[in-house]
Amino acid sequence: MLVVMKPHATPAQIDAVTERIRSLGFTPHAIPGSSRVAIGVTGNKGGIDVDSFADMDGVAEALRVTQPFKLVSREVKEEDTVIEVGGARIGGEAVCIMAGPCSVESEEQIVETARAVKAAGASFLRGGAFKPRTSPYEFQGLAEEGLRLLAVAREVTGLPVVTEVLDAETLPMVADYADVLQIGARNMQNYSLLKQLGALRKPILLKRGPAATIKEWLMAAEYVLAAGNYQVALCERGIRTFETMTRNTLDLNAVPVLKALTHLPVIVDPSHGIGIRAHVGAMARGAVACGADGIIVEVHPQPEKALSDGHQSLTPPQFAELVRQVAVIAGAVGRTV
Amino acid sequence: MFVTMKPHATAAEFEAVVEKIRSLGLTPHPITGTERRVVAVVGHTGGMDPDELFGTLPGVAEALRVSQPFKLVSREVKEEDTVIDVGGVPIGGQAVVVMAGPCSVESEEQVLETARAVKAAGACFLRGGAFKPRTSPYEFQGLREEGLKLLARAREETGLKVVTEVKDTETVELVASYADVLQIGARNMQNYSLLEKVGTLDKPILLKRGLSATIREWLMAAEYIVSKGNHKVALCERGIRTFETATRNTLDINAVPVLKSLTHLPVIVDPSHGIGLRPLVPAVARAGIAAGADGLIIEVHPHPEKALSDGHQSLTPVEFGSLMRQVCVIAGAVGRPVFEPR
Repeated sequence: MLVVMKPHATPAQIDAVTERIRSLGFTPHAIPGSSRVAIGVTGNKGGIDVDSFADMDGVAEALRVTQPFKLVSREVKEEDTVIEVGGARIGGEAVCIMAGPCSVESEEQIVETARAVKAAGASFLRGGAFKPRTSPYEFQGLAEEGLRLLAVAREVTGLPVVTEVLDAETLPMVADYADVLQIGARNMQNYSLLKQLGALRKPILLKRGPAATIKEWLMAAEYVLAAGNYQVALCERGIRTFETMTRNTLDLNAVPVLKALTHLPVIVDPSHGIGIRAHVGAMARGAVACGADGIIVEVHPQPEKALSDGHQSLTPPQFAELVRQVAVIAGAVGRTV
Repeated sequence: MFVTMKPHATAAEFEAVVEKIRSLGLTPHPITGTERRVVAVVGHTGGMDPDELFGTLPGVAEALRVSQPFKLVSREVKEEDTVIDVGGVPIGGQAVVVMAGPCSVESEEQVLETARAVKAAGACFLRGGAFKPRTSPYEFQGLREEGLKLLARAREETGLKVVTEVKDTETVELVASYADVLQIGARNMQNYSLLEKVGTLDKPILLKRGLSATIREWLMAAEYIVSKGNHKVALCERGIRTFETATRNTLDINAVPVLKSLTHLPVIVDPSHGIGLRPLVPAVARAGIAAGADGLIIEVHPHPEKALSDGHQSLTPVEFGSLMRQVCVIAGAVGRPVFEPR
């Protein structure tokens, strides 16, 4: 249920509504808007008597939310969510660009990449320290050493760091270093992990599961918000289909669908989405053309020597060209980079 | 395999190569439009050594096997983009082309009103189905020849070229006598008898991707048409079947850059079927052009709520006008104009 307050509702009136929600054993989620406050209600097993809230002082209306996802829904919050991360923004008018290697491999590699992507126009550095590799025999990441190197690169360049957290055990450590915590595709429905993220006050980049429907994905985001962390961005990274010529099938349909259903920012990962270096730029343009709020791109100073994902990583000059192209498309849809 | 002639090879040297191919029981396909003359060799070439057979003939630069299973549609065989000239309107050139119109032709008034509207907004092709492959046999199946006549009337009045679907070999001649471009629908992408039949025509073909066809299978289907002699084939991505239920299909925009690198054939995107939700059609149309598509095909109906088919994904003429403005801006951003009708 959603309780929408009148534009000039007093703090006391708002408190009375949240108190009433708590007294019924439910959880209130205050959602400040530009002109008025709305209060999302979660935790109710069955229906709530909507009318009993509608009659309270300062309440404009009380509504049932028709979608199974509530707090992430545009029905509950109409305005786009903008996540502020140390000077950079995810969501809002400007398209944000996250870039960096698949895995952190060495200090030289990560610092060189960070400098290059910053010079080309990226506003976030990506890089994995804990890697969920398909084979247990492949490079699994540098673990805490990788996080330290990401912090060094952040110090040198000022770029906020996006890095993946694999499990609940390492969550406090990763959160200590990261500016944005990435939940990888394979963990999209790791509900224990999602609930723990909800307790943090740290932005989350939630990747889509390889075979997750848009609805399942939004429900996964709902887990994080319901547990109290509202700073979630969604990342489309390609889905599993019968097509074998590309690594995944980048579902750009999901971008306008999500923008209609949710207020959360939508990021696109063309590197995993197509998996072919030569075509990453085309898909990045497509993503921004259909309304994505940002892109996350794999860049490596020497892709042929990369320990993971070399075939889909761009060189720094290729990345700089991609940013130029994306800036033109962003301009064409009335946005900046 | 394919044989590439030297830049200054004579006509007689070229003829000698063609004759040699025929003498081996194989079919020569001279490739037009390339800077150097190339002749593709189709047939059972397994076990043959291209260099041994052709490498020493006068005027031959090189003879190579094509590494892909598709040959004539491959960029290995023909590097330059194919441009299909449809009575003065090019599909596949520098300019982006837009095809638009109703899912089905329903009445003279409906198709004329739509044709005028989409022309005014900048479309250069009128789409409209007269023979409809509907999932249910109880649904509207199209006006058949009456529908084709109405499309011809709309062409006469507006000058737009007509794209319409042909469903079976029995009606190929009838449909071809009215259409400027023959569409092969997704369900017929692997109807090889039909592909072979349209391969014998001198008529442009718009080959839609099958609902669960891989890019390779799709290119092999195009190869069926081209190998029969009809080189005027454009490919149309219209969404594939996935587990996602929020959209009608999953528009595979990955296919656009992949195809542009593998084949010289033009690539058209159908965002209407690809997403199936009216308000979201313009967004994915923009994405298609930004990723490098050569054109779009869009469903437009003067009164979508009254349409006999696909109303939920058809744009009104006003919405289509807005889409065209957005597409022009994106085309400009990737350095391309949108083809303007006369």
